[in-house]
Amino acid sequence: MENYINNFLFTYLPHIAMAVFWFGLITRIVKTSRTIQAKSSQFLAGDGLKWGSNLFHYGIILVFIGHFTGLFTPEKLYHLVMTTATKRILAVSLGAVFGTLTFIGIIILIIRRFRNERIKLNSSPQDYFIIFLLLVEVGLGLASMATTATSSVENYAALGEWAQKIITFQPDAGAVIAGHSLIYKLHIVTGLFIFIIFPYTKLMHIMVLPIAYFFRSGYQLVRRR
Amino acid sequence: MKIRAQIGMVLNLDKCIGCHTCSVTCKNVWTTRQGMEYAWFNNVETKPGTGYPSDWENQDRYHGGWKLDKGALHPRMGNKSGIMKGIFANPHLPQIDDYYEPFTFNYSILHKQAKFKTPPSARPYSMITGRLMEKIEKGPNWEDNLGGTFAKRSQDKNFDQVQKEILKEFENAFMLYLPRLCEHCLNPTCVAACPSGAIYKREEDGIVLIDQDACRGWRECVSACPYKKVYFNWQSKKSEKCTLCFPKIENGEPTICSESCVGRIRYLGVMLYDQDQIKALASTPDAEDLYDAQLKVFLDPNDPEVIKEARKQGITENYLKAAAASPVYKMVMDWKIALPLHPEFRTLPMVWYIPPLSPVQTAVDSGELGINGILPDVESLRIPVRYLANLFTGGKEKPVTNVLKKMLAMRAWMRAKSLDESPNPEILPEAGLSEAQVSEMYRYLALADYKDRYVLPTRMVKPNEDAYREKAEKGFDTNNSNRPRTNLFGGI
Repeated sequence: MENYINNFLFTYLPHIAMAVFWFGLITRIVKTSRTIQAKSSQFLAGDGLKWGSNLFHYGIILVFIGHFTGLFTPEKLYHLVMTTATKRILAVSLGAVFGTLTFIGIIILIIRRFRNERIKLNSSPQDYFIIFLLLVEVGLGLASMATTATSSVENYAALGEWAQKIITFQPDAGAVIAGHSLIYKLHIVTGLFIFIIFPYTKLMHIMVLPIAYFFRSGYQLVRRR
Repeated sequence: MKIRAQIGMVLNLDKCIGCHTCSVTCKNVWTTRQGMEYAWFNNVETKPGTGYPSDWENQDRYHGGWKLDKGALHPRMGNKSGIMKGIFANPHLPQIDDYYEPFTFNYSILHKQAKFKTPPSARPYSMITGRLMEKIEKGPNWEDNLGGTFAKRSQDKNFDQVQKEILKEFENAFMLYLPRLCEHCLNPTCVAACPSGAIYKREEDGIVLIDQDACRGWRECVSACPYKKVYFNWQSKKSEKCTLCFPKIENGEPTICSESCVGRIRYLGVMLYDQDQIKALASTPDAEDLYDAQLKVFLDPNDPEVIKEARKQGITENYLKAAAASPVYKMVMDWKIALPLHPEFRTLPMVWYIPPLSPVQTAVDSGELGINGILPDVESLRIPVRYLANLFTGGKEKPVTNVLKKMLAMRAWMRAKSLDESPNPEILPEAGLSEAQVSEMYRYLALADYKDRYVLPTRMVKPNEDAYREKAEKGFDTNNSNRPRTNLFGGI
């Protein structure tokens, strides 16, 4: 039974999550593109955003880049420049710094959402749900770092191996982290849950981050009717 | 040379009575939706005053418009990476309290409640929170007719460099009305700062619009616009702005604010300009020269060379015909009596103003105003010329005094003629006008016939275009508000 649950959560669920994520992403962009937007409440109440919003957003972008490169760089590739132990030191230290900044940012944003009457009365259930979900996920990530730092190097390396097995569709992916600490598992399952709901929430505004602005020639835009 | 057409507007402030009909008709047509209660695409400010939103002219505070950085033109908020850096928390975003907190009154209590202990009154409720407001701190048109205290009004940015004594005198002496709407600039900062590329200038008539499907609510345009004429809909969380009533303009009709103007102060017409020169002219180093620089961008619609080239570049005949008869061209270029609002923002605005003559005749009669040779001495007019120069020419007084002289000369000349006196022949050369020009100015400014005020072409029709089938396709829609809300008091 335990084996079954482990297999379900860490071999199959990631694929289900990815399928829902990509399906939702594409349908949302094709069908209701105009609803993908930043949903900023700064106009009603700007206080707390300078620190809260900046810390959270810059923090979580760096944390995401860290996860992406950390999990998906093959061992052979990074062994050219560093050992697994060095990589772990790098991951834990950078993760601790940016994770903490993100966490502080979320805390400020939560306080703002509850303290400011205008924001409180104009928040949707989704606003509360997402912000607490992110708080839990970042909190679990920070908590798991103690285990990462103190357990064996193999324990740490297995995490990358698991992720790479998932994206290459290996059936034994779940077995790799079967013996890992519960805190990793909670972090992973919450993360997969975020992927599943992502296309149907306000988190979609990441997808319209206006990078194209940098490629616009000059500043002005003229269009025909 | 790249010739483009632009619909421009002139407002004759000399005749504005501050009745707010333009604002009200505009509000009823465009901004009655939830989230836009506080927004007035057209508003009329009483000057001196800090305006709406408060202190909007102070770009040290709001960082709107453009700046010259080592000769290169950038939005004052920063270049592209500077703007993007602040995307998570825009450091220069005005707050709704800088406009005012929208409110309504609970009238139902007046007929529901059987008895009152106090005289019955309807109390204000916030339209943002639905909660009772103890005190209304600010509202639409808060400083109307010099309402409020002088201490507050004197924070008006245009008082910079106006002497303190004049200021004091000023309080008892004068005010003017300034109707404001989107300037549909030739070099709009809102377009430049929109990272999503949702704001654009239309090629055929120069109207600046926000594509509601492409707007992602990054709110950079709100702080980029130095006139604070892009409004953030706090309900749909997207930006909206004046559309110059494009459905009417496309049909050859004036905007609703112009149409409904009871003082007949508004004029609409086509201006032809050279797009290739915009950047160089907007980069003119000295802010005082920007008014003269902007005049250089316009092309003479009666010049056969210009007409030939415009035709070649695809400008249609109805546009060329309208441009040749444009009242805006006459006032801006021929008579040079209309001035742009704050050219020092470097956006090359396209809503122009004829500065007001403060009560002159009374002042002359009572001997308060000196006569400088033939015409009253404009420098001693009640509205300090410096103040008007800060509003309209980036601080340069000469163009303002020239306009005032022309307006005075027209008055003196026509007054003499209608009283069957022979007018002093020196009046006109003194103001730099010819007799033909004066009678035409009189026709446009004093008589202001409908067909003279609005010379608008219908839209440039593309081959195979069926306007009938496209009707009612565009506009703001309201179905993007997340939750349907009933009225604050539970009713409809």
